[in-house]
Amino acid sequence: MIKSLLKEIGIDHNILRRVAVAAYEAEMNVVMYAEKGVIRCTLTAVEIRLRVDDVGPGIPDIELALQPGYSTATAEMREMGFGAGMGLPNIKRNADMLNITSCMGKGTVLEIIINLNGGNGGH
Amino acid sequence: MAGTDRRHSIKVDENTCIGCVACMKACPVKAVRVRNRKAKIDYERCIDCGECLRVCAYNAVIPITTLPSDLKRFKYRVAIPSPVLYSQFGQQVLPNEILAALKDVGFDHVHDEALVCEMTTLAIEEYLNENKSLRPVISSTCPVVVRLIQRLFPALCQLIVPIEPPRETAAKKLRKEISAEFEIPPGDIGIFNVTSCSAKMVSISSPETRAQSSLDGAISIHEIYNAIMTRLKKTQAPSMLRTQGDMSGIGLGWAVSGGEIEGLQNLYKVAVSGVSDTIRILEDVESGKLKNIDYLECLICPGGCVGGPLAVENRFIAASNIVRSIRLFGNNRRVDAAFVRRLYDEQLFSFEWAVKPRPFPALAKEKRESVRRLKIKERMIKRLPGIDCGLCGAPDCKTLAEDIARGQARLKDCVILLNRL
Repeated sequence: MIKSLLKEIGIDHNILRRVAVAAYEAEMNVVMYAEKGVIRCTLTAVEIRLRVDDVGPGIPDIELALQPGYSTATAEMREMGFGAGMGLPNIKRNADMLNITSCMGKGTVLEIIINLNGGNGGH
Repeated sequence: MAGTDRRHSIKVDENTCIGCVACMKACPVKAVRVRNRKAKIDYERCIDCGECLRVCAYNAVIPITTLPSDLKRFKYRVAIPSPVLYSQFGQQVLPNEILAALKDVGFDHVHDEALVCEMTTLAIEEYLNENKSLRPVISSTCPVVVRLIQRLFPALCQLIVPIEPPRETAAKKLRKEISAEFEIPPGDIGIFNVTSCSAKMVSISSPETRAQSSLDGAISIHEIYNAIMTRLKKTQAPSMLRTQGDMSGIGLGWAVSGGEIEGLQNLYKVAVSGVSDTIRILEDVESGKLKNIDYLECLICPGGCVGGPLAVENRFIAASNIVRSIRLFGNNRRVDAAFVRRLYDEQLFSFEWAVKPRPFPALAKEKRESVRRLKIKERMIKRLPGIDCGLCGAPDCKTLAEDIARGQARLKDCVILLNRL
């Protein structure tokens, strides 16, 4: 949905791809770990902001969670092809800015910014 | 081809079109509108998939292919039939008999494409083993899929395997060989693909990955079917090809969905066919979900090329005929890997340049104006009845809303709303 709207507005496809990947990974995290969550997308003249609010267990050690390969996925999630420990690292790789605040037992807020002009190009 | 767009292979005959909404409804990229009771194709959007061609009950949507009179321009005429042709004449007729009858129709030479298909399989395998960072790599065989990716999924252009489909490679190789052997200038040789595909003509008249196609045209199987059929009875074909191993079973498989990937060894490969399933899987690729897949074969026609709009035989029967032929000839590799490796290094298979993104135009050139129009569109969607009747001349309410936002239609085009006033 976010993707098709941004496409119609004429956002560059490389930026679109980064937004789509970041939004998908964030969505999967909410689906797998949280009770519920909301993804908001804001487009300004210079950037696209994604804000993901969830009600859930929270992330105990954010730094650790950002390390590629680190995962707390259950056997069941792994069976479905998830839990490679690449979710948050993938978001970070595609974002120009990633800010995570988490409160144990309450939930997590992800703020992702992707610049429209320039930016890191996804690396 | 006066009056049509050279870059496209489909036109509407306004004399026969009655302005029903069948083609408009079938179009996956919403490129058709009905205006003044005639279907109009927006060539800016058309990807030549042929869906409109399939559904038109009035034969008003016409494929543009090479005509017999176009063949006369060339001194030496070559036909490269797609393996689909072998599936069109029942189970008793063998490929070599079909090739002989085709030659009899009026060609100096006919060339089996199946072997080149197998060579291309090996070249793709070579590429996949050499390039492991980009996944999934997507097949370049279907000209419609290439155009669909350019338009709807521009970010995926880089995933398209930079290897020409077998028909191009075969033509490139043949022109050189024939020119040398018979001392004919390359320009006097006409090489034609005999195909079930209505989009091949576009990939020949305006190729996306090279300055000029190696082929000179595409002949519709539907068009040439009777001529072959009548000659099949007369031609005494040499029976050399009857025994196992004389034709590439791996190559024959390219006529059906899953055939291109069948011969790839030790790779995670997936085959998809049909417009809606192809769009669905490309959406998943775009979202980054399928990076674990090595190779993705997408063919726009249901069931693969046997399901092409210019085929004659029912596609399920055609597929069964292909499977039988594969069993007859065996599916072991017939091409020497080292030989293909050498041709691969000589760039026989390579694109001249990578597929370039050509995204559909946004709602407006300027982003702020796009957002404004997007808001109009959403407001219109709320007001329109949402029953997608097509009477306004747009395929569905959402598209009418978009046309209104672009200033190309008005709310009062909606017949249902007009009646409620």
